Amino acid sequence: MILRAESIAKRFEDRIVLHAASLRLEPGEIVLLSGANGSGKTTLARILATLLQPDRGEIQLDGVPVSKRRSAARRAIGFATHVPLLYLGLTPMENLAFFGELSGVAAARERAAALLQRLKMDGFADMPLVHFSRGMLQRVVLSRALLGDPPILILDEPYAGLDDEGSATLNALLAEARLRGAATILIAHDRDRAAPIVTRACLLRDGRIEEAP
Amino acid sequence: MTLFAVAAKDLKLHARDARYLATLVLFSAALVLILSVAFGPIFRDPAREASATVWAALFFAGILGLTRALDLEGESGGGDALRLTGSDPYALYLGKTLANFLLLAGVFVLVLPLTAIFFDVGDLRVLPALLGVAGLALIGYAAWGTLFAALARGLKARELLLSVLLFPSLVPLWIGAVKLTHALWDGGSIEPVRDWVKVMAAMDVLGLALAAWLYELLQEAGE
Repeated sequence: MILRAESIAKRFEDRIVLHAASLRLEPGEIVLLSGANGSGKTTLARILATLLQPDRGEIQLDGVPVSKRRSAARRAIGFATHVPLLYLGLTPMENLAFFGELSGVAAARERAAALLQRLKMDGFADMPLVHFSRGMLQRVVLSRALLGDPPILILDEPYAGLDDEGSATLNALLAEARLRGAATILIAHDRDRAAPIVTRACLLRDGRIEEAP
Repeated sequence: MTLFAVAAKDLKLHARDARYLATLVLFSAALVLILSVAFGPIFRDPAREASATVWAALFFAGILGLTRALDLEGESGGGDALRLTGSDPYALYLGKTLANFLLLAGVFVLVLPLTAIFFDVGDLRVLPALLGVAGLALIGYAAWGTLFAALARGLKARELLLSVLLFPSLVPLWIGAVKLTHALWDGGSIEPVRDWVKVMAAMDVLGLALAAWLYELLQEAGE
């Protein structure tokens, strides 16, 4: 599946955050998107994930605007960002089973159990998230994004809170996703951790996306 | 099924929040107690005073419930995560409405016997009809409240906006509930005020129909 962002513009009140930002993400790519604080990376991620409407421009999946088939587009995208997008009063397994069921993931519980085990969270599967540390929560956040084996992954600061072992597991999971043809955009300050798996790097500057060296 | 999964999730979250449940129960019980003391000990018109008390307690408890439900979706991005599932927005709305309805029904089950005892209006023969009136009132409350909660989502003054929108919208529903409850406790029949059943049913249908049209728009217009 090909994700294409065409001339995306977004402003909040008087501040222009994105100005004709364009990006094409092909199957099997892992693109690192970096940029200064406040450069609009998270805004772009939310627009790509269909959670935020751009003022101008269009997001397409396989040439079809996401606005034309929003439900299918959302099921094709795995998204993680600074906000957990989870219910803190539920356990990891309850969260993943719930979101998996609603997203139409086959055997959601089994898939959730496998991901939690992979991310070394199986021992905490039945503990409410409200008791979790930042790193533990991040592992569940990533499990939710990866749950349905989506063809597109948009991960905003996925290494935040993860230790070295957690980062390595995430990289292994993303490498496996790449092998099955998934396209990933990694928004990260921590270039070193992402370096082993990245196929292309971009920079968000002045509201536009440039290819990075 | 999306509807029941969402309702079960909301109720589970409510059930695990002991502080919230305690506030809801104590608030409702305290309101009934305070009004029974204010109107009593010799009641002039116990049926009228009791019906006003029941529905006042339900209205304010409902505001607490809806505000909490609103917070659940906002505090850790749960509402956005629901959108990302690609589920039918109306099924999500109905699930949340069902959870709010069941929560309010739970408060009603608490408030009704307390009121019946304190105001001495307990006539079990009218109980089925009374449950019907409660059903009509609480379906409407949950339907409109869930819709307005979606409208208030993402706003700084969302709790205030929710109350401001709910109060005028629910006036016909609440007048009907008070009049029908009073008629049942006073004379054992709703015949003198039967038309209020139609008004309340119309409000319920209108709330649910408006949501079918507006909920997705409100959900997507959050930012």
